[in-house]
Amino acid sequence: MSTITCREALARLYEFLDGELTGEKAAEIRRHLEICEACYPDLCFGRAFRDALRRAAQGQAAAPEELRKKVAELLRSLPPDRDDA
Amino acid sequence: MTRADSFEREALPHLDAVYRFALRLTGSAADAEDLVQETFLRAYRNWHQYEPGTSAKSWLFTICRNTYLRQQERGRRHERVVSQILADVDAAADGPGETHVFAPAVQADPEGLFFNALIDRTILEAIDRLPQDFREVVLLSDLEGLPYAEIAGVLDVPIGTVKSRLFRGRRLLQKVLYEYAVENGYIPAREP
Ligand SMILES: [Zn+2]
Repeated sequence: MSTITCREALARLYEFLDGELTGEKAAEIRRHLEICEACYPDLCFGRAFRDALRRAAQGQAAAPEELRKKVAELLRSLPPDRDDA
Repeated sequence: MTRADSFEREALPHLDAVYRFALRLTGSAADAEDLVQETFLRAYRNWHQYEPGTSAKSWLFTICRNTYLRQQERGRRHERVVSQILADVDAAADGPGETHVFAPAVQADPEGLFFNALIDRTILEAIDRLPQDFREVVLLSDLEGLPYAEIAGVLDVPIGTVKSRLFRGRRLLQKVLYEYAVENGYIPAREP
């Protein structure tokens, strides 16, 4: 039997999805979201949303090669002081 | 080991992540490139302040964002604020019974299938249009996967603020994407 309310489960949905909840609290929220007919669509929706953003993040451009070179040159132009020598 | 060696090993591998963050902060490739160069220059000069073992990526994001804010103060850029959309979302109210997702969208498409139909570019452009406070948390959490505590550090705000901005930013984004999906026929009109 779930010991938490729908309201609490939904209030913590994104903390759960973001991996911010641990241990028994996370397990409790997961159980509720997965078995509760009222909350389950919110869980699916939240996951689909996050997955779409993660996927979009993968599709972002890498830094242009020209920029990589510029930064490397910029750093080489600075005095080569030592941290721990 | 020289400063250059440790910097090259710990900081430079995050160049792509910093560039992506800069690109979405500034909204322009040219501005992003300037911002990345400035960020790595300042990071190198302040490398002694970086604590080994902590996240170099978060540390670089912090510098990147501070540099960006400083540039804004100098008036080099002006913020694109979608004040009307924001007002709409606020007007939708954070009632006590309100769920943490955009309710009409969940009803129309409970499994969020429409998200799969959206191409990456549509999603990224919607993120670009978010007001800065919300754009930052969405970038750092949803796109870069930082924990709340690290985001709080980058933005220099309490964790509670990170959570509330994420909540509002995500709902705003869900609303924008949902409306786009409806307009483009990804979600069939339902019988009333
Ligand atoms: Zn429930």
